[in-house]
Amino acid sequence: MSAAAQIDDLSFSHSGADLPALERVSLLVPAGESIALLGPSGAGKTTLLTLLDGRLRGWRGRVSVLGASLDPDQPPPRVRRPDTGFVFQEFALVERSSVLRNVLNGRLGRMSPLRALLGSPTSHDLEIARRALSDCDISDLAERRADSLSGGQRQRVAIARCLAQEPRLILADEPVSNLDPARAGEILSLLTGAARVRGATALFSSHQPDLARRFAQRIVGMRGGRIVFDVPTSELNEDATAELYREAEPMPGSGLRVVS
Amino acid sequence: MRFRRFGSFATSALIAGAILWSFATTDVELSRLMSAGPRIADFLGRMFPPDPTVVAEIKKGSAETLRIAILGSLGAVILSVPLGILASETMVSPALYRPVRMLLAFIRAIPLILVAMLMVGAVGLGPLPGIIAVAFHATGMLAKFYAEAIDGVSRAPIAALESAGAGPLARLRYAIWPQMAPVVARDTIFRFELNLRESLILGIVGAGGIGFYIQTYVRSFQYDKAASVTIAVVVMVIAIEAINVALRRRFA
Ligand SMILES: Nc1ncnc2c1ncn2[C@@H]1O[C@H](COP(=O)(O)OP(=O)(O)OP(=O)(O)O)[C@@H](O)[C@H]1O
Ligand SMILES: [Mg+2]
Repeated sequence: MSAAAQIDDLSFSHSGADLPALERVSLLVPAGESIALLGPSGAGKTTLLTLLDGRLRGWRGRVSVLGASLDPDQPPPRVRRPDTGFVFQEFALVERSSVLRNVLNGRLGRMSPLRALLGSPTSHDLEIARRALSDCDISDLAERRADSLSGGQRQRVAIARCLAQEPRLILADEPVSNLDPARAGEILSLLTGAARVRGATALFSSHQPDLARRFAQRIVGMRGGRIVFDVPTSELNEDATAELYREAEPMPGSGLRVVS
Repeated sequence: MRFRRFGSFATSALIAGAILWSFATTDVELSRLMSAGPRIADFLGRMFPPDPTVVAEIKKGSAETLRIAILGSLGAVILSVPLGILASETMVSPALYRPVRMLLAFIRAIPLILVAMLMVGAVGLGPLPGIIAVAFHATGMLAKFYAEAIDGVSRAPIAALESAGAGPLARLRYAIWPQMAPVVARDTIFRFELNLRESLILGIVGAGGIGFYIQTYVRSFQYDKAASVTIAVVVMVIAIEAINVALRRRFA
């Protein structure tokens, strides 16, 4: 089993925070699977995903993503960035641009710098963008402005932009937290399905254990900046998830921290 | 608390002092103001009726003022794009944007009419010094507005494009520009309106435009002609404002 990401003894504190957001995290993200990251607010899910995307500086430990090790002091080289795709919790769309333009923005890292600047996508770029739109079922929204869409539609645009990037590792930060249960199921099936078809790995965070079970082969539980469990979905038991989301309380010697 | 009370007392004393000082040291001969009634009436009498034969001069002068404002604004936009980027907190390092911002503040502090006088001295009479002066003077404000527009955009889409591997210029074009475009349009129109208003008087110092005729007619005591030009200026200012209100509504 090859690894899409390998993390060894990783610790990180946000500047100005008194508690570390990640503490001695070790994790192997197997390639080609869909993995869910569960854990209460403040557990460190967003921090971990952002770090794997190469956007955090000053951490300690060893992290390699898609076979290349990350440097704690500088961003990954630009040529490698498209290989890791990120679906932002708040979508991070360019509001006044069209849906197609937003999806084509995902291609910018794959174009030559000159072509990227001139805004002349090749027919190949356009084809990939159109396929991402149709996979996300939003082909008919291509000309609409992002700020005219509903939450569910925007989520689809955010995923389509990520897919247009042709990533080998997809990091999705709570991709369904803004959606009703039916829509949430559709989006996760779309995200994990698209990853599977493309042979990509998907690591998504969520607050919904039942959805995680339905769409992930593996489930990682986090709390207080630590990994609490890391199991195949079939081995996940109710007690472990209940324990993960129980109310914060001081637990001497348990290694868990109070989440304020 | 006590400190604040002392502060407000000091402020009041300072304002009162400044007013008293101005009265005491200026030659305000109130008696002259009292006896000025008949003279003002005489002066107004000489302005009326305004002389309508200067229509040709008004047309020529307004057209030149308009040209000065248009070309001066164009120059300001061309200067403000790079300077705006260099004055932006989010595009360049403090070592760069701090001195650029100081430079812009310095430019803003010099009144347009003063720049125009210096430019007349440097390049001679006519519209050219006016254009240069407007471009220079307006850049102090416009580049600052552009920098604020750049810094005011939401950061998330920029981070998203960076994560996708887009370079800095591609991020500027596809994440920053679409967000700041309406602000830039509004600010540029606003500055154009100011440029047009302010360049109406540039002719007084010989820097071209309709102001030249006001100065000429007043100096030669042709108050009826000066009155016509003044009316034309007022009409133009009102028209500019109306057009600007309409434009601003379009970009809201
Ligand atoms: N920019 C920041 N500066 C300082 N502290 C931060 C910052 N971002 C996150 N933190 C802290 O780091 C810890 C982990 O936050 P993180 O956002 O990773 O949690 P999360 O698991 O994604 O939570 P949620 O489910 O609410 O999204 C929290 O204690 C949070 O307060
Ligand atoms: Mg989060």
